[in-house]
Amino acid sequence: MHREATPAKADVSELDLVKQCQAGDTEAFDQLVGRYRTRVFGMIYNMVHNEQDAWDLAQDSFLKAWKSIARFRGQSSFYTWLYRIVTNVTIDWLRKKQVKGSGTEFNDEVQLREIDPASRTVPRADALPHQRMERREIRTRIDQAIQQLSPEHRAVILMKETEDMQYHEIAEALGCSIGTVMSRLFYARKKLQNLLRDLYENV
Amino acid sequence: MKTFEEKWTAWLDGELSGKELAEFEASLPDKAAAEAEKNDALKLRSFLKEHLAECSMGNEEFFHHQLRQRIESDARATAAPEKEDTGRAWWPIGRLVWAGATSLAIFAVCTFFVMRETDRSNQSQYLSQILNARVDPAVSPNATISMFETKDDKVTVLWVDGLQSLPSEYAAK
Repeated sequence: MHREATPAKADVSELDLVKQCQAGDTEAFDQLVGRYRTRVFGMIYNMVHNEQDAWDLAQDSFLKAWKSIARFRGQSSFYTWLYRIVTNVTIDWLRKKQVKGSGTEFNDEVQLREIDPASRTVPRADALPHQRMERREIRTRIDQAIQQLSPEHRAVILMKETEDMQYHEIAEALGCSIGTVMSRLFYARKKLQNLLRDLYENV
Repeated sequence: MKTFEEKWTAWLDGELSGKELAEFEASLPDKAAAEAEKNDALKLRSFLKEHLAECSMGNEEFFHHQLRQRIESDARATAAPEKEDTGRAWWPIGRLVWAGATSLAIFAVCTFFVMRETDRSNQSQYLSQILNARVDPAVSPNATISMFETKDDKVTVLWVDGLQSLPSEYAAK
């Protein structure tokens, strides 16, 4: 499996890649992973707010996709099908975590934030330190607000607002009706508006 | 029939059109407040898009490498039981023949010994124990008494030969 696609392979359609995967071609699957890994990781990270967990869940999602790709019939797009796996894996994980109760003992998020500023030996040129700090604070507020939503509401709002997915795509990915998607969006938006209004009005 | 929440969401996302849009907007009690709410929601959308979009994974090569390893290890784990099954399939063909032959031989030997014992017991069907006794030679010098007993029928036969008179101690009481 080579991650870098040759020019010929880069033009291979998604459906062809899926067919190759169904024939057991791991290289084709590697290409599909390359196409979606960032979006999948971003989606999961925005739901769980922890890099290591997001990494592990993205791995689990892709592995599950590989195992069940033989059953993909092409009735929806591969992307929607993959998102269904991703959201199922992530929502299950969030529910289990909720049941177990989340301790801060091994909270990498906290550790990263404590270590990160001092550990950078080469200054980054893209933003000034105070700007980065400001963005990080905003990000923390957004994460805290999203954490107050149920896993299903998180998935819906992220798919709509950051992934620009259509209602029917979200419904397929979550295995629910379009009406449910719209209703969840309504409540998720209301809640986030209440929690974040002071931020987006002033920033 | 769409609920208010569904219609509101569709309106906000620009998914309502024509008659449906006109009906919904006409149903709003305060159109200005609704428009302000819509603008607020659109601000939230662009705010989220701006701040949540910046999620770089980092170490992408390692992500691929790790996933590749997991897929390979999963394939090995799936193949291992199949291999074990193939190994088990050799048993009936090879060893089962030997096991069957050995079992038959043991059965034959056991049968031989059991049959021999049965024949031996059949040889003396009636006589299992013979008691030979002689009475007083002064009274009956040629008398002999034999006793036959069959275990199966629980019968005892007393064979008396040459007895002149029955001794008084043998008399029935």
